[in-house]
Amino acid sequence: MKDVQETSERRLIEAAQQDPSRFAALYEIHFERVYAYVSRRLTNREAAEDVTSEVFHHALANLPRFEWRGAPFGAWLMRIASNAIADRWRRGSREQTDALANDPASAEPSPEETEIRAQLFRLVQLLPIEQRKVVQMRFAEEKSIREIAQVLGRTEGAVKQLQFRGIQTLREEAAKVSGSNLVAKAARKQSQKKNRSGAANA
Amino acid sequence: MPKPNLSEQLDRAIQSILAPSAPSATARSGRDGATPAAPLSKLARLAGELRGLPRADFKATLRAQLEGRTPMASKASAAPEVRQTATAYLIVKGAARAIEFYKQAFGAVETMRLNGPGDRIGHAEIRIGNSTIMLADEFPDHGALSAETIGGSPITMHLQVADVDAMAARAVAAGAKALRPVQDQFYGERSGQFADPFGLKWVITMHKETLTPEEMQRRFENLTQNPSAPTAEDQESKWTLPVPHIRKGFRTLTPYLLVSGAANLINFYKEAFGAEEIFRVARPGSDLIMHAEVRIAGSMVEIADATAEFQPRASSNILYVPDADAVFHRAVDAGATSLAAPADRHHGDREGAVKDPGGNTWYITTHITGDHVTADTPAVVPVFLVQNAEKYVEFLKQAFRARELFMTKSPDGKIRYVSLRVGDSVLAGGEVHGEFQAAPFLLHMYVANTDEVYANALRHGATTVRGLEDAPYGDRTATVQDPAGNLWSLATHVKDVKF
Repeated sequence: MKDVQETSERRLIEAAQQDPSRFAALYEIHFERVYAYVSRRLTNREAAEDVTSEVFHHALANLPRFEWRGAPFGAWLMRIASNAIADRWRRGSREQTDALANDPASAEPSPEETEIRAQLFRLVQLLPIEQRKVVQMRFAEEKSIREIAQVLGRTEGAVKQLQFRGIQTLREEAAKVSGSNLVAKAARKQSQKKNRSGAANA
Repeated sequence: MPKPNLSEQLDRAIQSILAPSAPSATARSGRDGATPAAPLSKLARLAGELRGLPRADFKATLRAQLEGRTPMASKASAAPEVRQTATAYLIVKGAARAIEFYKQAFGAVETMRLNGPGDRIGHAEIRIGNSTIMLADEFPDHGALSAETIGGSPITMHLQVADVDAMAARAVAAGAKALRPVQDQFYGERSGQFADPFGLKWVITMHKETLTPEEMQRRFENLTQNPSAPTAEDQESKWTLPVPHIRKGFRTLTPYLLVSGAANLINFYKEAFGAEEIFRVARPGSDLIMHAEVRIAGSMVEIADATAEFQPRASSNILYVPDADAVFHRAVDAGATSLAAPADRHHGDREGAVKDPGGNTWYITTHITGDHVTADTPAVVPVFLVQNAEKYVEFLKQAFRARELFMTKSPDGKIRYVSLRVGDSVLAGGEVHGEFQAAPFLLHMYVANTDEVYANALRHGATTVRGLEDAPYGDRTATVQDPAGNLWSLATHVKDVKF
């Protein structure tokens, strides 16, 4: 299975190296992964979007230089992301204008954790349409229940119901995909980490 | 109090998760007294993970950026956010070119573009530093007139930067004209004034000293009472002051063709390319041409008969014309050898190639699509073909402040085509391959300070062919050979000399 994936990804990379317009396929495969990684390390949404954008533009521009030497394409993207974040930190510490996360959450997440988060983001796209809209507006666009109710023409109670059902569906689907409820595990791990640091700071 | 239902409870937990600077779902919900019941706590944790959910819009916009319109553009944030109350809205002739220029000159980032009607831009937004600037093409029917059409603008754009000298050099390299050189001002700033190619003025400035208004007033009065001679610094010619140092009618780069049979070649250019002879001087006591200047489609080309010191060299140039087929056939009729008949090429141009009677290769090209040619690309663009083009491009950047405009690579990672901006000119090239043989050129390059550029070129690996001298025709010159064997004749125009 892994070999098949590797071969097909390799083909996609070669195609994109010859014709940059075919980069979109690679983008679709890796977008959630990169965003999951970046947004874990930069909690500021604008910063996370900037860096994600930077990563893909950089990858596209440097694609001809990418050589398949065992290290997967995803790992290459993560390295670009990690460097971009490091650059931002350096700039941020000089200019102090960048709202960067400065809690331990910005430390390097494990590949497993990143993958689980990416999977969750992908699952959102598979939700029934109403649930998906609510989840996206609530979490990605950071709208209030009242605002969402206005946009959708529903009562606030109905929106809360959709939100509840959406998250419940996600939890069920995530459990199916991972088979071992990895999302919940990752979330638990994350909150334990934060709680520990909270105690240390207290 | 009735127990709130599950969806209500979960929403309370989510609210605390989404609240600004919420450290974590569990920590907050505890304090808020909204600790979710056991089955809910799992959902709340998952909601915590969703806090980083990407915006669907962002994903789509980024994909569109990567895919189509600007494949090699620098990063642009997907959600332009206007943070300022008042925003400049520029009406320009050629908004697309203007955006490109502002990117190059000031490091602008394009955040939005609405195309149309026609091939004009109806509205665009760019970000320079932390400011948004809006711009659009001119629409005279709607009273939207550009500074170029009106004949100037009473508004000056003011750029506050961290390093004014660096930004000014960058702006000039991109094609801005220095109106007032960068210098220290009495009010505690170091600044200069520049005109962009679209008729707008920009002050680029850097804060140096914090002064009270009284101190500024005192200095101002002092200055108006004792106007001093320009300081040494004012006189110092930097990269920021190229304009007066380039002879009238010339650009930064001019191909200098060294051939056997220069007079014959000039006739060929007249016939094939409609060249206009501007100047010719014969070698004393012979018919050989010591130096000649012709203008081809608005671009200067210099020609001389080769000498023992400067041997003939078959160089390559691109000639951009509106109708490549017609010019190609005219060139062949006038005596050129066909190397490749005009055809649509992978880079989006229609291109044919000929060898002229002097042995020089001309890629006769009509630009059709693609970002590698812009409105300010000169008609004649010198071409280099070298081994290890990547390294050579690095040299050009360091030695001559070349800046990359466009690049494509072959599957093997080698540069297939690169275009570079040098001063106000363009240089193209790539890795030597197949039938395209290396053809080292001689370029005449006008610079603001020959001494400085000469020293810098040597520092980066060029070697001296002719050292610094004040030439009788009013230029200070030096000639170097670069690591690829190309010659660069550096010159600063010091004074006009009548012949």
